[in-house]
Amino acid sequence: MKTGRRDFLRIGSFATASLMIPQMLTSSKLYDPRKNAKSVVVIQLTGGNDGLNTVVPFRNDIYYRNRPKLAISKNEVLPLDDELGLHPSLSGLQEVFRNGDMSIVNGVGYPEPNRSHFRSMDIWQTASDHDRILGTGWLGRLIDLQSDPAPYNALEIDEALSLALKGERMKGLAFKDPERLYSQLQEPFIQATARSVNHDHVHDEVGYLRKTLAETASSVDYLYERSKVYSSRIDYPQTSLGKGLKTIAELIVAESDTMVYYISHAGFDTHVGQDAKHRKVLGQYDEAVSAFIKDLKKNRKFDDVLILTFSEFGRRVSQNANGGTDHGAASNVFLMGGKLNRPGVFNEMPSLSDLDNGDLRYTVDFRSVYSTILERWLDQPSRDVLGQWFAPLPIV
Amino acid sequence: MTLSQKQIQHLYLRTGFGESPRAVQLRSSLSKRQLVEKLFKDSQSIEAITHVPYPIKNAREVKDVKMLRKILSSKKMVEETNVVWLNRMACTEAQFREKMTFFWHGHFATKIPMAYLMQEQNNTIRTHALGSFRQMLHAVSKDPAMLLFLNNQQNRKQRPNENFAREVMELFTLGEGNGYTENDIKEAGRAFTGWRVNRLGKFEMDHETHDGGLKTIFGRTGNFDGSDVIDMLLEKRQTANYICRKLYRFLISHKENAQFIEQMTDVFYESDYSIEELLRYMLMSDEFFAERNIGVRIASPTELLVRYLRLFKLKFKRDRIIIGAQKALGQVLLLPPNVAGWSEQNDWIDSSSLLYRMRLPLVLFGNFEMILEGKQDPEEPELSKAERALLQWRKPEADWSELFKVDMPNEESALIDQLLGMLIQSRTDSIDRSSLMRSIDGSSRENRIMSLATHIMALPEFQLI
Repeated sequence: MKTGRRDFLRIGSFATASLMIPQMLTSSKLYDPRKNAKSVVVIQLTGGNDGLNTVVPFRNDIYYRNRPKLAISKNEVLPLDDELGLHPSLSGLQEVFRNGDMSIVNGVGYPEPNRSHFRSMDIWQTASDHDRILGTGWLGRLIDLQSDPAPYNALEIDEALSLALKGERMKGLAFKDPERLYSQLQEPFIQATARSVNHDHVHDEVGYLRKTLAETASSVDYLYERSKVYSSRIDYPQTSLGKGLKTIAELIVAESDTMVYYISHAGFDTHVGQDAKHRKVLGQYDEAVSAFIKDLKKNRKFDDVLILTFSEFGRRVSQNANGGTDHGAASNVFLMGGKLNRPGVFNEMPSLSDLDNGDLRYTVDFRSVYSTILERWLDQPSRDVLGQWFAPLPIV
Repeated sequence: MTLSQKQIQHLYLRTGFGESPRAVQLRSSLSKRQLVEKLFKDSQSIEAITHVPYPIKNAREVKDVKMLRKILSSKKMVEETNVVWLNRMACTEAQFREKMTFFWHGHFATKIPMAYLMQEQNNTIRTHALGSFRQMLHAVSKDPAMLLFLNNQQNRKQRPNENFAREVMELFTLGEGNGYTENDIKEAGRAFTGWRVNRLGKFEMDHETHDGGLKTIFGRTGNFDGSDVIDMLLEKRQTANYICRKLYRFLISHKENAQFIEQMTDVFYESDYSIEELLRYMLMSDEFFAERNIGVRIASPTELLVRYLRLFKLKFKRDRIIIGAQKALGQVLLLPPNVAGWSEQNDWIDSSSLLYRMRLPLVLFGNFEMILEGKQDPEEPELSKAERALLQWRKPEADWSELFKVDMPNEESALIDQLLGMLIQSRTDSIDRSSLMRSIDGSSRENRIMSLATHIMALPEFQLI
């Protein structure tokens, strides 16, 4: 993706060159950071975030009628405009919004919504139609499009890699901590195996495993080196989201050649006793994202970053009998960054009375949000990633 | 005709989860036919998993299916059943039956959090795993877990739900786009109306919601029901072909040999879908034992884990650890990702999972620690510190005696050759022998074997079976 590496790779075939990279690591010149490189940070809220209590229609009687116990009262809401306000745990986000660094897209979903966590998450991660099963993720396919992709082009802060970051040709890299990842490769035997000079050109299964290992080793070295460049002094919360976003910020500031960062925040499946749980997980999200944005701003990187927050579905309009809400359909997504064309509330919230089986009807296909990111932010051909054309939104 | 050591290992890794070097040695004088017949003989008995008892004690108390769902729901019990099955795979002599149960579990991939019904489906599949595909398909179509998972409960005359009818054609028999139309699916959906689970968790045909009208499916018109549709699907040779392709990839190689698959299809179709006859044909063929097909399959996480469990009789202190390993590697039994089942071959490998696989033996047998957890469950809150502590790594008990009983040379280079021959099925010219040499702990015969075997299992090549 960057000139240094690309020039180097022209020397030999892809397989050979990538197998040789580990030995070249001593010359860090190879990894000249990308200049003015834009990246996207995806924050996945796992479990189905209750969009209606996140962005609250505080002038809507239907909302209050449907949620006698769970509705956020008017005086608790953090107002955004005359109709919508944020959950009281999101004070940091309210500030981001007021600064013109946030866009809220309402009613995002897809036709024939699936209410299974797993299936709906797969649909979001693969950007498939509701009735198609795809084996690759939208961000993995984005990396596939790049010339000479490497695992570190798409990073996930997690123990295991999400489908979203798996392409046909290249898969991203998942880790929790670059230091720990690096130390795993320092185990002498793994080290020796990963670094063994290998002139294996054979395109068979052994060749595939060896090639993946060599790419892993060079990616791990690259990330370790990048992670040494900048150590954040911003006070992040000690949650796994906080720690993960700190790692991401450090890599962004170090100008890591990473197009996509991915991280999940769980605990949104609030069937029972929602109020306290939702306050907690939204509060954790708010604190971590606020610190992250502060960090990026301080380092003048916020203009190069677009943050997408989504969940696999919203929740039903009506509360249930257990002080919670059940799986729903369309919901809102957030886009944040220092360079938004159209900050604010992008579109109206879907009707609370014209429901689809008790759920909000989607008004924006989630893949339009993806094509917005691809076409207007990363300057990538969205049709090649999404398989069909979805009109981008004029947000960035 | 006798087989080479590698070919015998190949036979056991593909039709089961691998046998110890000693067992392989002991059987080296048997002919191919004897070995293959022994496989079937060892798998003759059908032993159901009975971990989850039938949970309904008082039938009158269960008013409806909604209540049934509540009573049966237990993710904890699903995990327990998972571990029971995994240990069964590792310990049973009926290796081929469990391996094929695993194959059909991926084929008829079902995921509902109702442990009892998942267990019953697993038993149904196990019963037919080496028997008749015709009978299995009929049984699975009436299987409560399947009907609930694919929404046939909501498939009523007044408001048909095509989900089951679609997947039966798309995934279970013909394969996507192979010889059916949208209209065939719609009409077949009508034929399955009223096939549902009753409040006691058993299959029933509800005549009130069944659509008794005429349907036109594959150009034929009649008052068809679900069984008729299944028979029509089995009449199509394409069904035999689709299953044979999948089985070829599972048992022989990811690179399909169309000519051989045609021969398999003939055998399968002409035997009226006898799985045993098909498997015997495959195992007796030269194709199965061809050098190009040995050591080319990337072991799925289950195959990898059970190979360790079986070879070393591993005993984990806590089940959560083995569940965590399944999650981290990307395959949790009884929890397939979706109705299409698990992915295959290269899809198992990314940077993170490969590194994990390489560290696994060092962790299992060495003095390393590893947090064995996978992705966060969407239905669970994030783990607290105390819960995380419960996941804390504890080294499992491992029994090396099977390996120690084999004659092995003391000379290190010869020992490397011998252990590579026993543990690695792929080509070995990619392996750096000097780093293997350095990994040897020469303090005793046992330590020499243990240290070397552990590091051989940490090689990328060990992932290939």
